[in-house]
Amino acid sequence: MLARLAENLFWAGRYIERAEDTARMVDVTYHTLLESPPQETTHAYTQLLEVLHLTGAYEASGGGDRAITPEDVCAFLVRDPGNAGSIVSSISYARENARSVRELISSELWEAVNHLHFTLRARDLDADLADQPFELFRIVKQSCQTVSGVALETMPRDDAWRFLTLGRQLERAEMTCRLLNVRFSQLVDYSAPVAFHHWIAVLKSASGLEAFRKRYRASMDPSEVVEFLLLAPDFPRSVRFALETAERQLDHLGGRTGRATRLLGRTRASLQYRDVVELMDEGLHPFLDQLQDEVAAVADAVATEFFRQSPEGSMYAVATT
Amino acid sequence: MDTGLFREYTTDGFFDEAFDAGGGVREHYRSLIERLDDIPPEDLERRERIRDAIFRTQGITFTVYGDGEGVERTFPMDLIPRVIPAEEWDVVEAGVIQRVTALNRFLDDLYVGERAALHDGIVPRWLVRTAADFRREAFGIPVPFEARCLVSGVDLIRDHEGTYRVLEDNLRNPSGISYVLENRVAMTRVLPVAFARHRVRPVDQYGQLLLNALRSVAPPAAGEQPLAVVLTPGVHNSAYFEHAFLARQMGIELVEGRDLVVDEHVVSMRTTRGLRRVDVIYRRIDDEFLDPVVFRPDSALGVPGLMSAARAGNVTVVNAVGNGVADDKAFYAYVPALIRYYLGEEPILPNVDTYLLWDDEQRQHVLDNLGSMVVKPVAESGGYGMLIGPAAEEDEIERFRELIENDPRGYIAQDVVQLSRHPTLVGDHLEGRHVDLRPFAIAGERIEVIPGGLTRVALRKGSLVVNSSQGGGSKDTWVLEHDPISVGDDDGEDA
Repeated sequence: MLARLAENLFWAGRYIERAEDTARMVDVTYHTLLESPPQETTHAYTQLLEVLHLTGAYEASGGGDRAITPEDVCAFLVRDPGNAGSIVSSISYARENARSVRELISSELWEAVNHLHFTLRARDLDADLADQPFELFRIVKQSCQTVSGVALETMPRDDAWRFLTLGRQLERAEMTCRLLNVRFSQLVDYSAPVAFHHWIAVLKSASGLEAFRKRYRASMDPSEVVEFLLLAPDFPRSVRFALETAERQLDHLGGRTGRATRLLGRTRASLQYRDVVELMDEGLHPFLDQLQDEVAAVADAVATEFFRQSPEGSMYAVATT
Repeated sequence: MDTGLFREYTTDGFFDEAFDAGGGVREHYRSLIERLDDIPPEDLERRERIRDAIFRTQGITFTVYGDGEGVERTFPMDLIPRVIPAEEWDVVEAGVIQRVTALNRFLDDLYVGERAALHDGIVPRWLVRTAADFRREAFGIPVPFEARCLVSGVDLIRDHEGTYRVLEDNLRNPSGISYVLENRVAMTRVLPVAFARHRVRPVDQYGQLLLNALRSVAPPAAGEQPLAVVLTPGVHNSAYFEHAFLARQMGIELVEGRDLVVDEHVVSMRTTRGLRRVDVIYRRIDDEFLDPVVFRPDSALGVPGLMSAARAGNVTVVNAVGNGVADDKAFYAYVPALIRYYLGEEPILPNVDTYLLWDDEQRQHVLDNLGSMVVKPVAESGGYGMLIGPAAEEDEIERFRELIENDPRGYIAQDVVQLSRHPTLVGDHLEGRHVDLRPFAIAGERIEVIPGGLTRVALRKGSLVVNSSQGGGSKDTWVLEHDPISVGDDDGEDA
């Protein structure tokens, strides 16, 4: 397959996931705060921007020193076309990428992505945010899942499918890491009662509250939340599950001997055999930092190995293997 | 014919493809017209809906620009097909082959040969030198079988006597073949019984023919299994649909300039499994954007180093660079002489009589009769920048008078040709509309012409302009077999 098209598929997957995860996080933050003491509001939105690595972009968008208000942050994350990480931008980029690979994806998948883009364009997003954000987030989450489902049911398991899935799973792993990292690093006392709704929010952001309760019943032990979202082998939004899925795609793409496979295998194994109690004792924050870096390094290695073919690159590959 | 689709039909003194001057049906249209007469007018709407659905689902569109964002439109196909009898087609086919053969011979002689036609004064040297698309960069780059025009789309018209004449040669990047193939698919679904009543020569072999021809012109270095690709400017190009369509038909990659890289004078494409050597490039990018090293340095569409790779004999660029010299509308006037010179034959398809304006006598004649002339800039295509004298206001005529006097090499003039007309669906009945015909020829070891081609129709009443960007539509074009025995069921009903 042409490297450019593979890269576009990879990014179509990443952007769809980014839109969905952003919608989840904004949704949960918004609705959790309705039940929270007002002083927490600014704190929570500051955290949210940090999770998404958009603090700098947010401040820059207001001319350098922008106050953090729920309305402004929500608008910035949902509909600001100047924010490359907003939901609207992510969907638009996903569509642009999908458009360039129309020959490679099913027409049903193209239609689903296209439909989502035009659905958002047709809505009055400011009115949504002011009035009924729940409805907007529901549409985005549901449409992104429709896109996944349509891809799952209509695409042959060829290289196009694999690059799409690879991008999506790496993005998911990274977003879940970010979510855990920021939420945990800012809580001093994990077990304080005030922290309880934080765990609920974290699980909801990953669409994992119901599944978590089935497994752990009524308890809400932070280490169990971490174990679930990081290490669960069977929950599709856990980091481990995402990395294992990504690893299978790489295997089929013939990357078995490449640097991306080595990095990803190492990271996946370190999660697979990790004990959560040890992890919490050693310090979650440095571990998540490193994990996030490792996932980013895998994505870089994928780009080098599959997307950046050049005569110089080939010579380099020969020289180092 | 006072009821049904033909109830108001008149030929208005034009040459009509379906009816003779006395109003009688031409023999090769008899079966079609009988069938059409059976279809109640109200049923046509349903058939148009079927057609529209076919075109929409297949995404057959071209892009019309305006208001910033390009709008995708379908190229409207008229429901009434054009029929060409076998004997008539034989002449057209032979004429197109003859013309493309002579032009290929001339271009090969010009760029890699002795330039005999220039030495012998058949074409003036200065005319070639001053043609906008003459490319010195192409000197010394050979193409196997002299197939420099591997794909050509020769535009033909029929005059008031029904004589086929060449209007232009289109030797660079002729488009429209995708409509020919898609129109046929749609037609066999919309009018299946009418189609089955005729023995129509197929067109769907085009992809295979083109792929074979592309592979046949691969450089010797390519080996047994040459790799060919289609090179497109990208999704924003108005003909992108056709580029993707052709790549799909041939089962080869559709690449953009950035997918290709030249190293050590070898072209490769970047794939997920490394670099793959490319041997033949069917490029749908104009010469000047093809390689920023030798042409426009600001072009991001092309491939740096492509021309050096071609010169080194490592890749064949199709159509060859520099063909546009023969698309110059003043050069066109010399093609009949080139046919005589290179082939020793009389031209089978005549030109439209053309006045060359640097000649004092011809220019004076044109200036004296501007109101009845068509004036065209030599380097334009697509119907842009033309004067149609009989339809022009006085100030426009005066503007062209000045243009011609200032730059006689920049324009040619022709007498107005009354294009033939063809019954065309207008609302719930048929009216005559002007048509032309663009057959597609593929050169390689030999030259083949796809039976028929793109019939374009000026949908606006009285208009002579058939271009898609200017209100034109198209028709499926049926070339009949020599033995036109019906293979359909005469009692059948169109679905």
